[in-house]
Amino acid sequence: MNRRQFSIGILLIVVALFAVPIFYAPKPPASAEPGLTLIPPRGELPAFELRDQHNQIFDVARLRGKWSLLFFGYTHCPDICPMTLATLKQVHQLLGEKNKNIQYVFITVDPARDTPEIMGSYTGYFHADFLGVGGPASELDKLTQALGVYYRLDDNAKGNYQADHSAAVFLVDPQAQWRGLFASPQNAQHMAANLSRLQKF
Amino acid sequence: MRRLPLLLILLLTLGTTTYAATALHVQNAWVQEAPPGATVLAAYLVIANPGAQPQTLVSVSSPDFAAVEIHTSQIVNGMASMTQLKDLTIPAKGQQVFAPGGAHLMLLQPKRALHAGDPVRLRLQFKGAAALDVTAKVKRASSDTHHHH
Repeated sequence: MNRRQFSIGILLIVVALFAVPIFYAPKPPASAEPGLTLIPPRGELPAFELRDQHNQIFDVARLRGKWSLLFFGYTHCPDICPMTLATLKQVHQLLGEKNKNIQYVFITVDPARDTPEIMGSYTGYFHADFLGVGGPASELDKLTQALGVYYRLDDNAKGNYQADHSAAVFLVDPQAQWRGLFASPQNAQHMAANLSRLQKF
Repeated sequence: MRRLPLLLILLLTLGTTTYAATALHVQNAWVQEAPPGATVLAAYLVIANPGAQPQTLVSVSSPDFAAVEIHTSQIVNGMASMTQLKDLTIPAKGQQVFAPGGAHLMLLQPKRALHAGDPVRLRLQFKGAAALDVTAKVKRASSDTHHHH
């Protein structure tokens, strides 16, 4: 090997070393499989008293006897909330008959603007069986704290204020126990497959 | 031969959606159909910038809404939040995708009820350039907004 060949060889190795991380760089986390995190049963959720869109009491008793999918948001949310509710609508379509053991509940973190009437027309747009639930922060917080749901209303803004809120869909079992969460962005097929499997338990 | 420049202008004008001054163009503009009574909607689109200079979107207006704001949603540690952007730069020879769960145009206080199929006119104002008019179509949130596995 002469000097020139040696230099070219070194150069090729250096180029290869730089190329490896370019070609094998990890994919951004956005492409990761959306997941269900299961939580071991820890007993019934604490007492709380909210109202559904028909102004009927929605409390822990309403969580017994069915699997519940709870999503916390608000109707002045133009992007994440309709996207998630549209996914839940797809889950509902995919599950067909199996929906008789599942309830879909949209819970507002913005009760000042989201009256039962507004919640009714909002959830009804996605599916007539979806529940729209709300109530005073004092009652809402009993449920959000038990589930580790975060929300924060933007109190600086006047008029059209916004809210930050947990993006996950929370899973509650027929004993009213928190059993898991579907992280955002949710995938309807993935959720439906998991819900079918869970119902066989 | 005197007609040639006129013919050229005509040819250049016809059949192109490219915005002549900035070369920006918009694809797949749509508005997510909202539940009845909703006062806040979102529009999505792709702004492509084939030009050699970055272009900055500074404001958007629509005759169908009281106001339009540029926003981005993000989910950090499981928390969804929205941030209003003062402006948004479309890189040179690049594009900006507005899509559910990310950048979007927030449409405030619709002046009429909008249903799937309705057109919504949007005027995009870029820094140092004339406005770009776009017609977005109202669509029902569909299954294809998510990647399927």
